[in-house]
Amino acid sequence: MIELTDIVKRYQQHEVLRGVSLRVATGEVCVLLGPSGGGKSTLLRTINGLESFDSGSIRVNDIVLNAAAGPERDEALLQIRKRVGMVFQQFNLFPHRSVLENVTEAPIHVLKQSRDAAVQNARRILARVGMADKENARPGSLSGGQQQRVAIARTLAMNPEAILFDEPTSALDPRTTAEVISVMTDLAASGQRMIVVTHAMSFARTVAHQVHILHAGRIAESGPPEQIFEDPQEEITREFLSEAARA
Amino acid sequence: MLGDLKNSRIIIAKGFLFLVTGSIAVGLLIVDHPDVRTGLLLLITVWSFCRFYLLLVPRFPVPLAAFCIVAASLTQPLVTVADDGLDRIRLRGTLVWGADQEGGGPFIYPDPDDPSERIGFEVELAQLVAEHLGVKPEFSQGQWDKLPDLLDRGDIDLVLNGYEWTTNRAARYGLSIPYYIYELQLLGRAADPGLTSWDDLLKPVDGRKRKVSLLGGSAAQDYIERFGGDNIDMALFEGATDAMDATELGLSGIDANVQDLPIWLFYAKGFPKLRPIGEPVGRGYYVAMTRKTDQDLLRAVNEILLQALQDGRLHRIFAKYGIWNDTQMMRGLETDESGGFIGSPDPAADGETKDAAPVSYQPSGGWNVIRQRGGLLVRSAGMTILLSITAMPIAVLIGLLIALARLYGPWYLGKPAAVYVEIVRGTPLVLQLYLIYFLVPKLLDIIFPGMELTINAFAAAVMGLAINYSAYEAEIYRGGIQSIPRGQMEAAISLGMSRSLALRRIIIPQATRLVLPPMTNDFIALFKDTAVCSVITVVELSKQYYIQARSAGAIVELGLLTALLYLAMSYPLSVMTNRLEKNLNQERRG
Repeated sequence: MIELTDIVKRYQQHEVLRGVSLRVATGEVCVLLGPSGGGKSTLLRTINGLESFDSGSIRVNDIVLNAAAGPERDEALLQIRKRVGMVFQQFNLFPHRSVLENVTEAPIHVLKQSRDAAVQNARRILARVGMADKENARPGSLSGGQQQRVAIARTLAMNPEAILFDEPTSALDPRTTAEVISVMTDLAASGQRMIVVTHAMSFARTVAHQVHILHAGRIAESGPPEQIFEDPQEEITREFLSEAARA
Repeated sequence: MLGDLKNSRIIIAKGFLFLVTGSIAVGLLIVDHPDVRTGLLLLITVWSFCRFYLLLVPRFPVPLAAFCIVAASLTQPLVTVADDGLDRIRLRGTLVWGADQEGGGPFIYPDPDDPSERIGFEVELAQLVAEHLGVKPEFSQGQWDKLPDLLDRGDIDLVLNGYEWTTNRAARYGLSIPYYIYELQLLGRAADPGLTSWDDLLKPVDGRKRKVSLLGGSAAQDYIERFGGDNIDMALFEGATDAMDATELGLSGIDANVQDLPIWLFYAKGFPKLRPIGEPVGRGYYVAMTRKTDQDLLRAVNEILLQALQDGRLHRIFAKYGIWNDTQMMRGLETDESGGFIGSPDPAADGETKDAAPVSYQPSGGWNVIRQRGGLLVRSAGMTILLSITAMPIAVLIGLLIALARLYGPWYLGKPAAVYVEIVRGTPLVLQLYLIYFLVPKLLDIIFPGMELTINAFAAAVMGLAINYSAYEAEIYRGGIQSIPRGQMEAAISLGMSRSLALRRIIIPQATRLVLPPMTNDFIALFKDTAVCSVITVVELSKQYYIQARSAGAIVELGLLTALLYLAMSYPLSVMTNRLEKNLNQERRG
């Protein structure tokens, strides 16, 4: 269970998140939609502590993350980060390591797996994302889609309870976007819990269990995709969807 | 080369090789056999330093620095107990006396027949004193103006190097009876008819004041200031022969030179275009110097000087170098055993031929001088390399820590780190070395009173260089770390890494690739900056060059060889930088 309760975040006077609450059950795919500047990425990044927040709390299973800085929060964050992976818009692969080393880095040094076990596991995961033949390549020599699939593999190697996707296809062209979406769809089908910030409407429509529309730091509307896309209740949702359709 | 870097097993293997070869190099330093040492040391240090620099600096700064410190402390005891007092000299079996061979003949200079040995009348005086004490003389090289400091530090027991008797010195140090009475000789160009007397010096030529070259801080400078006041221009030099050279060539309008008479007597043959003008003037006394507290040593020195004066041994030594003159009789101390004055003792009475030509300056040049003295320069290049390869990894380690403190540390680490960088960058290396060498023992004395701890010159030099360069490395590393995109740290901590693990595994290795080229540049600069270490008695390539070039008069030949040696050390590094940059660009492009 991942549960966010009343998350508030300010930049100086400006409130970016104005009390957001949501919960994501095991095996669920949760998609955050909404216009730019609505707070989607910021919300996602508070979950694993890349952004702090000013009030509210985040629960990941039995771990509680509060707003107050200090050793308790640091400890909670370390635990959360081991269980919740993150995939970035810009991939952020480690350029000085090979594809395989990118994937084995954290299992070996954070989970203290043996090198052999980590390598074996990494090869299995790379095969799953279709990157088995590139294990010795450097990230710099890969296409964007390939890099993002390695980034997903890197996260999967930690056997995460949830993966946060921060606009995973926004830096990709349509063809490579399809590669990544197919990997994500495949993951969802296997019961991987995910929270996804994206502009890929088709993914939201076909894969998500829950869709939240974030606007001006609040959740404007929540519901299963068929309700949000077919029968939106809120004006903001309708506006956003029609703009997205035009784009 | 970076390809090799990627395989950690190869790195460990090569690192191990470096440790082995490094140990051999250090071992050879301890084995005191100069000829075996020089060749092997150079070969192995050059090779191993390439290994270590390429492979180990970015990866293993901590164990390497530790190794270097251990190696340095093996080379010479890092902290030694200062000795003083006659009893301790006798216990030790050696009289450590200080002088600067760069000052040259006839005082102390490299033996033209074997430049690794030293001759000169002060070498023979030291022998005389040591024999009297029943110990062996041990020479310790120090920069001339720093010799009293070395005495204070307890590095040496006795200074014998043409130090004049002055009231100031007498107040601070134990000064012996004069072993030589010197006078000052005015020298002019033979081709300059307008300068025939001291008074001519005061007369302007074509409305321009006469210009006199002088050894800075010497008695001659004092004399000219008193004699000429504002009517004479002065050009100050660091070496007596440089001043004579400049006068002979008439560089920057120099008309004349005032020189200690013994120096002129010794070097006259080397400067055929100079001629003495007028009678010698400004009598003064060369005295031996001890610590004020070493009264028993001073008494012993006086004893033997007096004996040698009376039995003609001093006369013989000075005559050998052609600097005995009637002025030496002014003391009137030449007495026989009954105490009666006997005038000048006759050296011939001791079976020495009176007309044997005195030892004097023999300029040499060409291949001969390179064959004779090149080996010494090469050996000193070994010291340059040793200083650099020991100081650099320590500098990198300190620099990295400082950079991390500034970037990620709490304010009570970050602020002092910033101040450290500013202070170290803003003060000259030579001052830092001087402070470490002379101040650290004083601090140690305050912290551990009575233990008389001190720090040896090599360790002080390495410390000074490392501290100085650490400020630059810190800034390079800070820039390198800052240029790594923020997403790298975010990705790393999102994988559950702690900040320090992320720094160690993800950020620093990437930053290291970026900083290797500028670091190599600094390494080359460090090679050249080791020359400054001569102020704290470390004889490296530059100092050895000055010593040898001045004593042989082969400024050009040995200068070219020295330049060549520096180039041979820095050029491989330049090549390496270029290759690293190329590799780095390839890696970035993927």
